[in-house]
Amino acid sequence: MTVRVVTGTIILAATMMIVAFIMVNEPNRMTDFESGYKGRSVEAGAALYDTNCKGCHGVQGEGIEGVGPALNARDLFDGRRLSEIGWAGTAYDYVFSSISGGRPRASSAFSTYPQRMPTWSSDFGGPLRPDQVRNLADFVMNWETTAMAQPAETPTPNPNAAGTDLETELPAGDAARGDKLFNGQEGTYGCFGCHSLAAGEVKVGPSLAGIAGTAASRVEGYAAEKYIRESIVSPSAHLVEGFQDLMPKTFAQSMTKQDLADLIAYLMTK
Amino acid sequence: MAIFKLHLPIVDDIKQKGLKPALLAKVDEGVTRLTAGLGINDIRSVLRGDPAPRPNPRVKPHADGFWFHMRPTYYHNLVTPLYPQFRLGWLSVYFMVFETITGVFLMLFYTPSPLVAFENMLNILSNVPLGLFMRDLHRFGAELMVLAVALHMLRTYLTGNYKKPRQFTWFTGVLLLLMTLGLSFSGYLLPWDQLSLWAVTIGASMVEAIPTPYPLNLLGDQWFGDQYFIGTFVNNLVRGGPQFNDNGLLRWYLLHVLGLPLIAFVFIGVHYYKVVLHGHSLPPEAEKVGEDTAKRVPMDQRTYFMPDIITRELFYVVLVTFLCIFAVTLGGYHAPLEPHAEALITPLHTTAPWYFLWLQGMLKVGDKVFWGLIAPGIIFNTLFVLPYIEVGPSRRYADRRIGLSVGMVVCVTLSMLTFMGTPWYAVSSSADQEIIAEIVPQTHPGPLRATPWDELTVGTYEAKNWEQAPTPGLKGLLEEYEHAVATAQAKDKEGQFKNLDGLLIIEEWQDGLKKITVRVTWQDATGERTASQDVFLHRDSNYGG
Repeated sequence: MTVRVVTGTIILAATMMIVAFIMVNEPNRMTDFESGYKGRSVEAGAALYDTNCKGCHGVQGEGIEGVGPALNARDLFDGRRLSEIGWAGTAYDYVFSSISGGRPRASSAFSTYPQRMPTWSSDFGGPLRPDQVRNLADFVMNWETTAMAQPAETPTPNPNAAGTDLETELPAGDAARGDKLFNGQEGTYGCFGCHSLAAGEVKVGPSLAGIAGTAASRVEGYAAEKYIRESIVSPSAHLVEGFQDLMPKTFAQSMTKQDLADLIAYLMTK
Repeated sequence: MAIFKLHLPIVDDIKQKGLKPALLAKVDEGVTRLTAGLGINDIRSVLRGDPAPRPNPRVKPHADGFWFHMRPTYYHNLVTPLYPQFRLGWLSVYFMVFETITGVFLMLFYTPSPLVAFENMLNILSNVPLGLFMRDLHRFGAELMVLAVALHMLRTYLTGNYKKPRQFTWFTGVLLLLMTLGLSFSGYLLPWDQLSLWAVTIGASMVEAIPTPYPLNLLGDQWFGDQYFIGTFVNNLVRGGPQFNDNGLLRWYLLHVLGLPLIAFVFIGVHYYKVVLHGHSLPPEAEKVGEDTAKRVPMDQRTYFMPDIITRELFYVVLVTFLCIFAVTLGGYHAPLEPHAEALITPLHTTAPWYFLWLQGMLKVGDKVFWGLIAPGIIFNTLFVLPYIEVGPSRRYADRRIGLSVGMVVCVTLSMLTFMGTPWYAVSSSADQEIIAEIVPQTHPGPLRATPWDELTVGTYEAKNWEQAPTPGLKGLLEEYEHAVATAQAKDKEGQFKNLDGLLIIEEWQDGLKKITVRVTWQDATGERTASQDVFLHRDSNYGG
């Protein structure tokens, strides 16, 4: 019996040593498991991407023009895409919620993608479980290193762009062509969508009836042409009272000097 | 003029006897109360194995204490060695307690909902200190408990202890065996991984086969528009609906943590009460045929619970706990966790837990209703009534040739059925799928995932040229691949898979991610055929190996 008591005590001590050893190693083990699990999540996400996503976003996330935007792209990770659509959260959250709930409407930043992104999470009636959506998001976020290695896109300045400088020389304007540009028969500006030419009619922006006269009196020291020009290339500079700052700010880049001159010439006839 | 006077006897004692003796006496008094009769010196003499003083204070706890009153004061010398009982009943109780303790720990981190159950598992493994350890212990203990209970029954059968007057003890024992199997099986379902989903699917499809006998089927057709309504009802009961769902999981969970343990604890009480009431029966050869002398233990044949049995049991507790802890740590046993349950993906070889393989083997023999329901029903009912129909008076081996032969035949049959339950026996699936499942199985990591990630060099490799592989890991993998191809080729006796070939394509896919295509090519009557499976492997995924 003494043998039993003694061996029992030794075994008990051994057991406690093993447990103590395990406990000391627990933090490391848990960290290892965490990263191992993350790895498996990426694997599962890769398989899901292969069956569900590559049709629109490309086999390697390179995107398909007009179908789905690139995901293996620098702008998704360096914050530009997020700020373009006004996303306040992290890139992971953006990816996760875009997959979960889909993209109900193509944002202006992606106006070249007419298709809506469908909802994927079962929370929103899609086919995937939330944990599968997380796997997918982990997989997409794993492109970060390769995407960030891509050269940062430097916008190529258009030498013919109107620019925001009000003092540069403009070519001679053609009011007839300006009419077409204004009314959407030429170009893609579609000014008429927001601005009516009938006196007092408000579509979105103020009516432009009699603009040639009012423009001259709006800002002291500004000739009518200069005021109209500024209103197009820097719409936020001076707002007509009672209207919000809704006019696109992109015309300085997208509009050529000739178009701008034509539009001004056209509006000066009104 | 105190209205309220505080009287502390200990203060008087200290004043009288001095601090140390007074405190010691107080502690001794407390210990005596806790043990219902044994003071510190008595416990010490028990542990030292001193002969009992007279009058013997060691019988007092058996009379006055709750826990010790359940245990006999002494045992017959003949039942204390390893033979004839092998401690199997004791082990069963030990594991019941062991499972309760580890189970309660796991319960703290588990929610029975398909939405979070699997994530709970990952959380237990990644965020709960000792989570993996406890889960492994719980699973390991469950396997051993089934083993202990089954062997306990076998031993009882062999030594004939189920005979009069212990028939009812046997009856409750069979009930406890069912509880053990039920507890173990219901535990399989809770992690909500592939294993749980498909285990319950097999089980539910068995009960779904419950026939609705005539004329109930006609009435069912009239009333419910379903002539198999009993099977449908039971199926809905165990799955929670036509598909296994959150209700089903909740039911199995409650069964696992509440229903079955409650019944089991009650019947452990009944079972052990009967054991003590009738006494531990002696080895068959120790008493005359037809006599039961277990309760009449001569004075010179007694082994007292204190000190002998209790120290022995403490020793076993320490030893078995050590062995379990050793197994799940240095022994490398780990409870498996398969991928998240996925109703759309059926793993190629779904096997029942090992103690139900015999049932799976029977299902392969033939009709689901007979082999899945009626035959197991007959087996368990026979077990229940065995002591009431097998009433031969003698427990001696020589007098029970028929009984022991039947027992032997049953054991052999069960072993054979168990083998038949494994995928080795009569599972027909196509050679290409067999090969792919060999390399990248859906139920466990398998050789490809266990190959070190760095050794999976990008390229295209043929299994038959395994010797030319650039890294040792890849070489071993391709050799295994080639072996699987050769095995499948040898199995294909009808010649449907001519020129089977294995191909492995490894591509760099993402940062730290490789895509591996396992492609099997062969020729059949229609020409060149291929089957592939894509697997993605991440640098960190750590499948072990």
